[in-house]
Amino acid sequence: MRLSRRGLLRAGLAPAAAAALGGLASGCAVPTGSTGRNMVLWYWSGGLSDTVVKNARARYGSTVNLQAIQIGGYYRSKLITTMAGRARIPDIAGLKGEDMASYLPNADQFVDLRTLGADTYKSRYLSWKWDQGIADDGSMIGFPIDCGPVAHLYQYDVFRKAGLPYEPDDVSKELNTWERFFAAGEQLRKRVPGASLLTDVNAVFDNVVNQGSERYVDRDRHFIGDQEHVRHAWDLAVEAERRRLVSDLVNGTPDQLSAVEDGKLPSQLGASWATFDLKNGVPRTKGRWRVADMPVRPANNGGSFLSITRACREPEQAFRLITWMLDANNQAQGYVDAGLFPSTPASYGLRQLRDPDPFFGGQVTTDVFGPAAQRIAVAYNSPFDIALGQPVKDEIKNVGVLGKDPDKAWSDAMSKCRRIAEHLGVSH
Amino acid sequence: MATVPALEKPPVVVAEIPAVQPRKGLRRYWHLYAAISPFYLLFLAFGLIPVGFSFYLSFHRWDGLGSMEWAGLSQYRYLVGDSDFWQSIATTVVIWALATFPMIFLAMVTAVMLNSAVRLKNAYRVAFFLPSVTSVVAVAIVFGSVFSTNFGLVNALLQAVGLDQVAWLNTPWGIKVAIATLMTWQWTGYNAIIFLAGLQTIPGELYEAARIDGAGPVQTFFRVTLPLLRPTLLFVLVVSTVTGLQSFSEPQVLLQNTANESTFSGGPGHSGRTMVLYFFQQTFDNNDFGYGAAVAWGIFLVVVLFSIINWRLLQRRDEA
Repeated sequence: MRLSRRGLLRAGLAPAAAAALGGLASGCAVPTGSTGRNMVLWYWSGGLSDTVVKNARARYGSTVNLQAIQIGGYYRSKLITTMAGRARIPDIAGLKGEDMASYLPNADQFVDLRTLGADTYKSRYLSWKWDQGIADDGSMIGFPIDCGPVAHLYQYDVFRKAGLPYEPDDVSKELNTWERFFAAGEQLRKRVPGASLLTDVNAVFDNVVNQGSERYVDRDRHFIGDQEHVRHAWDLAVEAERRRLVSDLVNGTPDQLSAVEDGKLPSQLGASWATFDLKNGVPRTKGRWRVADMPVRPANNGGSFLSITRACREPEQAFRLITWMLDANNQAQGYVDAGLFPSTPASYGLRQLRDPDPFFGGQVTTDVFGPAAQRIAVAYNSPFDIALGQPVKDEIKNVGVLGKDPDKAWSDAMSKCRRIAEHLGVSH
Repeated sequence: MATVPALEKPPVVVAEIPAVQPRKGLRRYWHLYAAISPFYLLFLAFGLIPVGFSFYLSFHRWDGLGSMEWAGLSQYRYLVGDSDFWQSIATTVVIWALATFPMIFLAMVTAVMLNSAVRLKNAYRVAFFLPSVTSVVAVAIVFGSVFSTNFGLVNALLQAVGLDQVAWLNTPWGIKVAIATLMTWQWTGYNAIIFLAGLQTIPGELYEAARIDGAGPVQTFFRVTLPLLRPTLLFVLVVSTVTGLQSFSEPQVLLQNTANESTFSGGPGHSGRTMVLYFFQQTFDNNDFGYGAAVAWGIFLVVVLFSIINWRLLQRRDEA
């Protein structure tokens, strides 16, 4: 037996080369979507209820092998990359609400859910939420998961001590305009030393913009961020700063959390999911909070969708799965498991949403969030909205944090927007 | 094992061939090329092709999903006039300078001390090396607390010596200093180890000679150690420049907040928005992949420029 090194190398190399070639060859045949009975579902941590996913797997197990995968990190960029790569595309993909605008122009990458009979389900869902999943050409790509109605979260005892209305009904009724809300903030600052109404000016600006039925770019690809609705939000934010109603803290930092805990930031305009942030971030404030309506009208912040991609080989089966996972019962379960506020009004009456919440002093928070979810205005969400909204948000932050002159900041924001609009081919 | 035919052929056959006729390199040495090919294939797939594609992309408009649209030079034309991009270059350079120069100084001092340490030499080396293999994200989260306004360690120290609190993560200079401190902390030990390797190549006789000539420790350092460390210094400087100019995770994690705002905006006044952060914002927030690619090439040019400056600076002194 002669075993030379070279011979061994050669013997080893041939299979390696064959494997490499084989790999390349099979590489050419990578399936676009899944194969066999597999049905791949992409979502993110907390995007769907684990219980519902588990039940769906059991319920449809005889026909499909549902593989629900939680994708970590930057979800949208991973989904886009996979779809652009045209390989191993999930059959069902979660779409985050804030990313919807960027998917809608590419509606041809998804199955139009109307062709699968989505319209028969329409009446069971919030109409504005339903419309958000529909592209300009009328095709429907997103099936509603949850929504994020914004309400006024406040600390009962602090409001009481400051001589403000403190029962949820009274707060809703009496702090129903921005002027009254701001006046309450001034009174709060006088009665409770060191307290501020809100964390930063963006809390005012973003919420006022979200309340409206228009944003930064309209359907005709025209920049409207210089118009009255944005200017109004800007002026209110500047006013909040001028009347010293906002703190100099940064959202989510230890400083801000401790101010919340000490009752120095006893008020927040937060979406339904913000209640879970509070429970995690400042658990010691349990029982001190209440929920009331936010000033003027409710807004929406967040909420996502499920879609069926073009690569899905069994759209009907996928659609059956989706509609079951997102029916009123399962959405109620999603609320319990993951804080996903249902987009199905029928859920609001179910036991899971009627439980008194000890964190909110035994209040049934659905009494506020539920009606709020049904009164939200739909705003057109352009794919250029993020690019053209960011300069305005950045400049209002400069006013709030760095003390920049508001007029200068506004004109800087507008000139930057015009420049970006030109670059993106948005008229102004 | 006569069943294995490959082993039966005597390798002598290969050796005879050159005598007959010199074969073409590829045919003769293919197995050698095959042996080194994995690196080149991987580099091709994950290095060269993406780089080439980003160049191609920079002449297009693309939202990442739909069809690409030819844009000619317009992305680059916009880049040249984009004040945000220029601001991000300035921000990056300031943070780089604030981080790199103290870092090199501290690394040098540490290396000299490590070099003369007698006991626990390896324990020190490991301890100094650890920060560089720690996840930036974890480090940034810790530094976020260290620099927090009311409960941060830094402000506690400032107050202990009777100074006022600074809202580090909410003021333009505070943000830059915080990011630079993080980078300094993370890379000092790593570079100290490199300097240490450089120090140990300096022959002992030179120090002996210096001592005999009556040079003190300071003089020895500046006349013997430093000149002989120049190649190491060049290496450290170039590597720190290339990494420092591409800082991304540090500002991203340090300045992100829980509100669903852009995580790439770099804090108030964009004070911490480095070039790479700006690239991410344009590409992934705005879905403007074409412009993002152009920004990436802009970053490439800036890094090349700085590397050349570094190199020339240290090269010229060598000639003099």
